[in-house]
Amino acid sequence: MRIILTLVRKDIATFLRNRPAVVITFLVPVALIYIFGFVFGLNARDSGPAGIRLGVVNASDSPAAQQLVDALKAEKTFRVVTADPTVTPGRPLTEADARRLIHDRKFNFALVIPSDFIPARGVGLRLRILSDPRNEIETQTVNGLLQKTIFSHVPQLLGQALQAGARRYLGDVRTDQFNSEIAAAVTGAFGGDREKTRRSLEAGGFGALPGESAAPAAPPAPDLFSRLVQIETVQVAGRDVKSPAATRVVGGWAMMFLLFAVSGGSAAFFDEKNAGLFQRLLSAPVRRSQLLWSRFIYGILLGLVQLTTLFAAGRLLYGIDVFGHFGNLVVVCTAAAAACSAFGMLIAAFAPNAQAANGLATFLVLTMSATGGAWFPISLMPEFMQHVAKFTLVYWSMEGFSQVLWAGSSLGELLPTVGILLAIAAGVMAAAVWRFNRGAVFD
Amino acid sequence: MLIIRDLRKHYGSQLALDGVSLEIRRGEFFGLLGPNGAGKSTLMSLVAGLRQPDAGSLALDGVAVTPADPATRAALGLVPQSIALFEDLSAEQNLRVFGELHGLRGALLRERIDEALAAVQLADRRRDQVKKFSGGMQRRLNLVASLLHRPKLLLCDEPTVGVDPQSRNAIFDFLEARNREGPTVIYSTHYMEEATRLCSRIGIIDHGKIHALGTLDELLTRLPFADEMTFPATPATAAFAARVAAHGELATADGGHRFHPHAGFRTSAFYALAEECQLPARLFVAGRPSLEALFLHLTGRTLRE
Ligand SMILES: Nc1ncnc2c1ncn2[C@@H]1O[C@H](COP(=O)(O)OP(=O)(O)OP(=O)(O)O)[C@@H](O)[C@H]1O
Ligand SMILES: [Mg+2]
Repeated sequence: MRIILTLVRKDIATFLRNRPAVVITFLVPVALIYIFGFVFGLNARDSGPAGIRLGVVNASDSPAAQQLVDALKAEKTFRVVTADPTVTPGRPLTEADARRLIHDRKFNFALVIPSDFIPARGVGLRLRILSDPRNEIETQTVNGLLQKTIFSHVPQLLGQALQAGARRYLGDVRTDQFNSEIAAAVTGAFGGDREKTRRSLEAGGFGALPGESAAPAAPPAPDLFSRLVQIETVQVAGRDVKSPAATRVVGGWAMMFLLFAVSGGSAAFFDEKNAGLFQRLLSAPVRRSQLLWSRFIYGILLGLVQLTTLFAAGRLLYGIDVFGHFGNLVVVCTAAAAACSAFGMLIAAFAPNAQAANGLATFLVLTMSATGGAWFPISLMPEFMQHVAKFTLVYWSMEGFSQVLWAGSSLGELLPTVGILLAIAAGVMAAAVWRFNRGAVFD
Repeated sequence: MLIIRDLRKHYGSQLALDGVSLEIRRGEFFGLLGPNGAGKSTLMSLVAGLRQPDAGSLALDGVAVTPADPATRAALGLVPQSIALFEDLSAEQNLRVFGELHGLRGALLRERIDEALAAVQLADRRRDQVKKFSGGMQRRLNLVASLLHRPKLLLCDEPTVGVDPQSRNAIFDFLEARNREGPTVIYSTHYMEEATRLCSRIGIIDHGKIHALGTLDELLTRLPFADEMTFPATPATAAFAARVAAHGELATADGGHRFHPHAGFRTSAFYALAEECQLPARLFVAGRPSLEALFLHLTGRTLRE
């Protein structure tokens, strides 16, 4: 063990002496995450200008439509454009304008709220998203964000749609009667003010009256809706996390940089070998496997520090809640770093030389990152690829990150994921040690 | 102390050691003299337990040396042919790592590090990164890094390549002083001057075989001739060289000819031939026979080929 400790200390000292390595390992990923933050429109601090430009055409006179527009305006990731910027004075956008402006690349996305937003027939809402699918990932992100914004207002909107439908089918009198009865039943069963509840139902808001809620995006008052329907938890999971997309982006890129860092470590192995250092080390009472284990442990430490740095950057830049679950996050990060480090050792053990190791590492890192969901959510991939993803350590690491940061899982809930990561690390390390003990270290 | 029996080693189809047998005695300064590719480093790596021989045996103080058992290497110090140092670390950090790997700690380790740095005049550069050292300084550090744990057997694989004469002498003095304190040294080189100066016994190796073994004097008595003549290799001497080659062994290296007469070819006959070719006597230097001559005699090629 002492020998391994000495070697690990040596690796750390070497790393710290090598300033470019420090910069590449820590600052570059942080800088890139910041830049990708712009790409994905995540930068929490920047309201308006840094957001994705989104054209909004509101052809509906429904107050619900206006609420939706206001909600989108409040969303930091969007910079909502409601007036045609190419003519002065600006006039409200029409759908034709939006199409033209997308074509001219004034913006890439537009949301159309048609005049039959709350349709005359049937139940539900009608919306159209116009997009220039030049950048598929951006399209997915924007669609996701739009859906999130709309979805968090759906109780209100859907309620209005239902009310409108009811009036059409039942007539005014019977609808009023229906509302009164429901209000009576509900307040009878759950408590609350009957008259308020009735008015609330009429407004379609289930709970929060338009006039009463301070901001359109405010969560529904803990009134009727929340008492009737228990879908809150589903929504809350997404709403509590300040930047769900940021969690994924930071986690994904962190994994990729981690893999690159540890596979860089495997290339350093070859430098030592070529320099004749293996001869010196192994002519001392040192075992081959000890060389590998020491690098493995060093890789875990490096990975742990790198992941911590990146998540700390995620906290600063995007307000990811890192410290709320810090202990569990460290557990997942350690398991992820162990799996990555083991992979670096496997490459070092199997590759015949540094170039081959680099090539192999680049190939494996990129494939695993892409298929494992580091770049875009695996839910966007074809089904069979989603199965393939489960064979990558990236997938399980990302799973662990989102369990901790998104779902706030307990240590017990994390065990299966952490267990899989550690099993990957153990299996891969076993193969690496086996190979390294037999491989030609000098010849 | 070290008994080597019929050691063989192949690299693929390349035969590197072809049945080497050697017995190294305690306290000896043993020279392994041979040209590039002779098998010196291969032999060293087998003795150091880095590689497994294809056949033959190796025993250090009666214990077989194998790569599988690190403990057998505890009493061993290897100075690799290449500079085997962590170049991003300082001289002191390097020595600390290698000392710790041999189980040295605390005050003893610090003491040994100070001693080693002083011995190779690097004490004032101890905190500098090794990559900022000159080649000769790195060589010196490379050497002492193998001595911290006071090995019983020190294997030096061409430790003075690229070192200026002054530093080289310092290294020689240092090694001789160490050797007097106890450790046995095996020293490989293709410089016969080094072998002549340092080694109490010399093995001449080529093509993976030991061709001759003994003290310098013992080896030189095996030469069939007593003198050698050297003269410059120029167009003017070309005709003479061609004619004199019929009467002895002629080798050409570094712009000079080295001639070893066959028994019976007298020095007077040599000068007579030179006069016939109109070469002045001052071109010729007569010398004592050297290891190089012996090497040439044994292997048919010069050391620096
Ligand atoms: N790693 C290797 N793979 C294949 N062949 C090798 C290897 N190392 C040495 N050889 C071959 O084995 C033979 C002996 O090489 P070795 O390195 O032992 O010679 P050497 O006496 O140390 O030479 P030098 O003075 O150049 O260091 C040479 O023919 C060489 O080509
Ligand atoms: Mg050699």
